[in-house]
Amino acid sequence: MISVSVTLNGVPRQFEVSPRDVLADVLREQCGLTGCKVGCDQGVCGACTVLADDRPVAACATFMFKIDGAQITTVEGLASDDTLHRVQAAFLACGAFQCGFCTSGMILSVVALLAEHPDPDEQTIRTWLGGNLCRCTGYGPIVAAVREAALHDALVTV
Amino acid sequence: MHGTRHLRGEPLFGNARERVTGETRYVFDAEVPRMLHGKLLRSPHAHALIRRIDTAPALAIPGVVCVVTGADLAGLADPLYGVALRDQPVIGVDRVRYVGDVVAAVVAVDEHTAFRATQAIVVDYEPLPAVMTMADALAPGAPTLFEGPTPGVAPGVGNMSQSIVDPAPNVPYEYRFGYGDATRALQDAARVFTDTFDISRINHFMLEPYVNVARWTGSRLEMWSCNQDPFVLRADLARIFGLPVTGVRVHTPPVGGGFGGKSYCKMEPLVALMARKARAPVRLALSMDEGLLTLVKHPASLTLTTGVDHDGRLIARQAEVMIDGGAYIDASALVAIKLGYRVGGPYRWQAIASRVRVVRTCTVPSGSFRGFGGTQASWASERQMDMIAQRLGRDPVDFRLANLLKPHEPFAPNERGIDCDFAFELDRLAATMRAPTRDTTRGVGFAIGLKDAGGTGNHAQALVRITQSGDVVVSAAAVDVGQNAPAALCRLATDEIGLPLAAASYASIDTDHSPPDNGTHVSCATMVTGLAVQMAARDARAQVLQFAADRLDCSPAELSLEGWNVRRGNTDYPLEPMIRRYYGGIGWEFIGRGAFKQPYDADTPLGARNMSWMPCWSAAEVSVDTETGLVTVHRLVVGADAGRALDKAVCLGQIEGAAAQAFGQALFEELRYRGDLPENATPITYRVPRAGDMPSAFEGFVAEHGLGIGPGGLKGIGEAGMLGIAAAIANAIQYASGACMTSMPFTPERVLAALDAHSATLLDPSK
Repeated sequence: MISVSVTLNGVPRQFEVSPRDVLADVLREQCGLTGCKVGCDQGVCGACTVLADDRPVAACATFMFKIDGAQITTVEGLASDDTLHRVQAAFLACGAFQCGFCTSGMILSVVALLAEHPDPDEQTIRTWLGGNLCRCTGYGPIVAAVREAALHDALVTV
Repeated sequence: MHGTRHLRGEPLFGNARERVTGETRYVFDAEVPRMLHGKLLRSPHAHALIRRIDTAPALAIPGVVCVVTGADLAGLADPLYGVALRDQPVIGVDRVRYVGDVVAAVVAVDEHTAFRATQAIVVDYEPLPAVMTMADALAPGAPTLFEGPTPGVAPGVGNMSQSIVDPAPNVPYEYRFGYGDATRALQDAARVFTDTFDISRINHFMLEPYVNVARWTGSRLEMWSCNQDPFVLRADLARIFGLPVTGVRVHTPPVGGGFGGKSYCKMEPLVALMARKARAPVRLALSMDEGLLTLVKHPASLTLTTGVDHDGRLIARQAEVMIDGGAYIDASALVAIKLGYRVGGPYRWQAIASRVRVVRTCTVPSGSFRGFGGTQASWASERQMDMIAQRLGRDPVDFRLANLLKPHEPFAPNERGIDCDFAFELDRLAATMRAPTRDTTRGVGFAIGLKDAGGTGNHAQALVRITQSGDVVVSAAAVDVGQNAPAALCRLATDEIGLPLAAASYASIDTDHSPPDNGTHVSCATMVTGLAVQMAARDARAQVLQFAADRLDCSPAELSLEGWNVRRGNTDYPLEPMIRRYYGGIGWEFIGRGAFKQPYDADTPLGARNMSWMPCWSAAEVSVDTETGLVTVHRLVVGADAGRALDKAVCLGQIEGAAAQAFGQALFEELRYRGDLPENATPITYRVPRAGDMPSAFEGFVAEHGLGIGPGGLKGIGEAGMLGIAAAIANAIQYASGACMTSMPFTPERVLAALDAHSATLLDPSK
């Protein structure tokens, strides 16, 4: 077993893990953070996307031993009480989801996108979202939500 | 009508907040105490006898609880599943029929252990010759996948249809439909055109995997299932395990995408069997690779023979269709029926004669997929419409306009009239797409896909409860698969009662408590279940008024409901204190009951009058790189008729989402076989549309022609966007480049081949 320390949604945590343990399983099974969805389990669909040191990673394909010392943010770490993150608020306002299974990962990808490109053009948005599949929407409302989110401050009271 | 006076513009994103905070609990997230985990071993052979399965090495692995194989089916009341016809064993017995067929199921303490154990199982196969294509399967002397007749019952149809079981080897089902004398009409036609079209195999690729949790308490089975059809599932499980339907309890939380893939019985009986043998609750989540091997949309080959008269009027059509059902029949018989019925499209005919054969091959079973035969029929029909227009030297829009059915005109004899205006929207679309400013190096193509919708003889029941505080609980079995049916049904209920949408919530679906319906498919939730909900809300409202009338010693006719007050004359009486005073204790709920049934009628083509018509107006503007064969779709416009839209954004989401799936199928998406093996059944190699793949201009529209039979004129739109897209793109390709596409997807290789064929025609006028 290996000892891995991370800051998870702002809280220091330590995990004893085996070399084969991946972040998605630890989040879901040990921390109850089921907002992290596992679709393909191969790092392709992006449903399990979380932030590691503000960069999007596929939690299903990220070994725990690789992230010792990292800051991990999941969808549960974005909102607090009645306050939504601007990206969540924009997804809500634009109806940028249907079944919602891709939504957590999609939102975290967009959080990272806006950190890097505060005012992204359409091409940048569509390229950035290439790692997040949505089978329901056809992506139009998601692109609109990114644009909407870019207009607002970080936290929005809803 | 009554309900519409309360209409408000509130958006329908009722329970949406939990979708963006990650709080929605899917079956994927379900956990029960002592829950074990399953993994499956699948066949590497396309067709083989199972001689022996040695599970001992798997059972020796610490943490493995049990292994289920075909031998465990002996105790089942009925080991087979399928829709009407049933040929799929809960787990492989003595034979496997496609690469991916399940031969063993391991239950262990965790998924890792279960997976390792599947790899330790030794199966001794005796390979058999496989039939991988419909041509292989129909060849004289071809090996057959099954011996003996197909179990189950032929689906019922109306007088203009024939439902035939096992007409030929490897053909478990054939459907025939027709009216008029097509042979004679084609003899009399001025011109007759025969063309053949192929459609490819695609997978639903929903992001939430097939996932189920099963738990037995004594002889009672409880399941948390991602299935779209809780009551169909309950009936199947009861039949398979020999239980009364009340011996099975199904919970259906929100589903993470289905598109038809999660309708009808799939893994559920196997998970129940695993849990029974393990004597503990079991969760089985398939991987996405396995999802690709579970169900696909029917590949098909359609030959249409269409006659026109001297004035360019359509006279008659004969359709000879084969659909590849894969290894097991699943819903193939129903898909055959719907395909054969829809093959005429939105046009007026003197005669139609269609024959659809389901062909068995050693490939992934085909079944429900958004469009359900309509996609195949619309693709061929709308593609041929353009090819005929070109040969006649007619404008494809004018040719369609001259032949389209008008509102209220019956689709077929004794069938419901058309409930929208096909020509109006096509005209409008043509005007937009053919604006003089457009780039003339590009081709523009149009199509009107069409299917019947709402189900054949469908029915649903519903309850609407109003608490003493004026809160509303809507209870029905329409599943939230992402289409937001719960909010739509809450809206219909509150519109009827006159309370705000925010006062309503949708009860979680549990077959022990929820009123039944036939499943969440055929775009029926808002219309069919909606009619039941509307009636239940009306009943509850009447009970409220009767209660108040009794208290006020007057007739209910003297009262009106204004929010949560009753008004008599100019006086408002708040209801809550009135109810509290009378009932005391915990108070009271007014429980309204509603039901809807579309009656069977043998004189209609399908055995019951269709409930609604679902058009898909589609237009594409494309360019073709004639050097590489690459097709670029610059603009894609897709619209459907909601009758009345409860929320336009939600309707658009359905239309555009379906169109995106059709767009992928048209251009690149396909589950391919190379020899006996699926070539790209992994999420990396099975390519679905990504954000960057969509056309730069991708626009949806919602028509509201108000002629639906649902509450306030509404009808379903969930499948529409799937229907016309491929034909519109192919039609545009031909105008842009001359390439005549008759099979999908329109890959550069196929387009180049079609361009070569086109050049050859130009060089050799005799062709």
